[in-house]
Amino acid sequence: MDRRMHWVRWIGVAFILLWTLIPIYWTLNTSLQTNAQVTAKPAYYVPPTPTLRNFATLLTGNGDVPDSVRQSLVNIIIECAAATIVTVVISTLAAYAFARMRFRGRQLLFYAVLATMAFPAYTTLIPIYKIMTGLGLVNTYTGIVLVYVSGFLPLATWILYNYMSSLPVSIEEAGQVDGASRMQVLWHLVVPLARPGIISTAIITFLFAWGQFLFPLVLSSDISTEPLTVVIASLQGRHVVPFSLMSAAGIIAIAIPAVIAVLLNRYIVNGLLSGSVK
Amino acid sequence: MTVGLQAGRPVPGLPRRRKRIDALPWLLVSPLAIFIVGLALVPAAYTIIASFFRVDELDPPTRFNGLDNFVHIFQNGAILSSMGNTLLYVLVGVALSTLLGIFFAVVLKQKFRGRSALIAILILPWALPGVVEGIIWVNIWDANTGLLNSMLKSLNLIENYQVFLGTNHFVTVLLIEIVQVWQITPLSTLLILAALQNIPDELYEAGSIDGASSWRAFTGITLPLIRPGITVAMVQAVIATLNVFDQPYVLNGAAATGSSVTMQTYFVTFQNLDFGAGYALSLIITIATLIISFGVLKLVYRPVEF
Repeated sequence: MDRRMHWVRWIGVAFILLWTLIPIYWTLNTSLQTNAQVTAKPAYYVPPTPTLRNFATLLTGNGDVPDSVRQSLVNIIIECAAATIVTVVISTLAAYAFARMRFRGRQLLFYAVLATMAFPAYTTLIPIYKIMTGLGLVNTYTGIVLVYVSGFLPLATWILYNYMSSLPVSIEEAGQVDGASRMQVLWHLVVPLARPGIISTAIITFLFAWGQFLFPLVLSSDISTEPLTVVIASLQGRHVVPFSLMSAAGIIAIAIPAVIAVLLNRYIVNGLLSGSVK
Repeated sequence: MTVGLQAGRPVPGLPRRRKRIDALPWLLVSPLAIFIVGLALVPAAYTIIASFFRVDELDPPTRFNGLDNFVHIFQNGAILSSMGNTLLYVLVGVALSTLLGIFFAVVLKQKFRGRSALIAILILPWALPGVVEGIIWVNIWDANTGLLNSMLKSLNLIENYQVFLGTNHFVTVLLIEIVQVWQITPLSTLLILAALQNIPDELYEAGSIDGASSWRAFTGITLPLIRPGITVAMVQAVIATLNVFDQPYVLNGAAATGSSVTMQTYFVTFQNLDFGAGYALSLIITIATLIISFGVLKLVYRPVEF
């Protein structure tokens, strides 16, 4: 590598770090100040007297805003966890059938799954709202989870299909010679071998679900089911919540996905690549 | 993949039994099939059909009205201006995320200490909700407390704080799209990086014997060979930017300066309750997404063999 490449590399590393971290740092910085400090011009680039008061207000305080932030945090955790579990179970079963069995309609269904990935998610926004209204599932956890599952299943099935297809068949055949049923083979041999793929699928599904906004905006009508994303956008839209408190709410909303992304990035990278490059 | 006409084929290693229908594969895929048909295929078909009907909540019998929904759309100034904005979102977003993705991927292809930690940090914006990224960047672009104003003021580049968002279409769209680029560039980078890592080192060694400079090696060897990765990155950027909603909704509200077609779909359908126009708009975005994605594929993709 010549000298010039060396400089390009370090400029690139610095740029990636600044580009990614400055916006997050700035919100963290704002969340640790009082609102009087936030309005100073020019701004404080580090908090002059760091305080956790904004976080305490949101997580333990009384009033409309803290109540809705706490309730919507509970909602988003329930909805994301449920959507992840259901998606992973259904896509594991289907991916196993696609990867290892031949049956009538296999190709048709497989291409239908792939085709839905080419369509933008919002194509179905209005009909899905109509269906959920018809089923009486608007403003319920069930309705939101069903919609998330339908949205994430194609990618999840595709990732797991690729993963299971890459596993050697010989181990499963040995299991069948030993008299295990195909469901026993799936549970005792395929699932343990496919564990990294299953973890990737679960993480990606969870993060996608956590980021959802327009679907729950349409499908939730009050705080009983609204996820944190919807509540944060509505607080922002009303312009009544000071910047320092908004920033603390933002930090609360990104804490869980940020920790997952940083600690489990290997699974995310592998899953995304096997899901996209084909 | 072969068509599954051999259902019920005996499992290897087991004694051959009498031929019977093997129901297990259908049992395994049936939950998936129910979701795909019920909540994806049927709704998508419904969007297509309903676009050509008068759909009114107060007048339930819906009537065929040909292209009326589309005519109404193209007579609506707010929708037309949102189409202009969306085109700009796509151009800015696809160009910026692809260029940054190539740059980041070239940096990350090299081996250095801390590389895997850098990848962990790089994917962070991809993992965060678009709504919260809107909040994060409001904090930067804001006219009273924003980081950009503060820095320009600290550097004595401006006398007074400026209003950046909502004053004109181009600046507003550009600043909002930077937020979305922040979110989608990590995936572009990973896709292009994967393509980069497929290039055998021998190709560069052959190039350096010929005395090719780094830049020449990049344009002559690297770029042509990562076209498949760039194609996939650009297609995902097209889909994301054409359907942008969260970032303009949070950063600029309903204001016309940054409104996108998906935002107009939401307003028209769920605030004006004009469901017919909503379906027609959904169909327009879907068709535009498919056409532009296919165009990018034709234009950028070239098969590569090593």
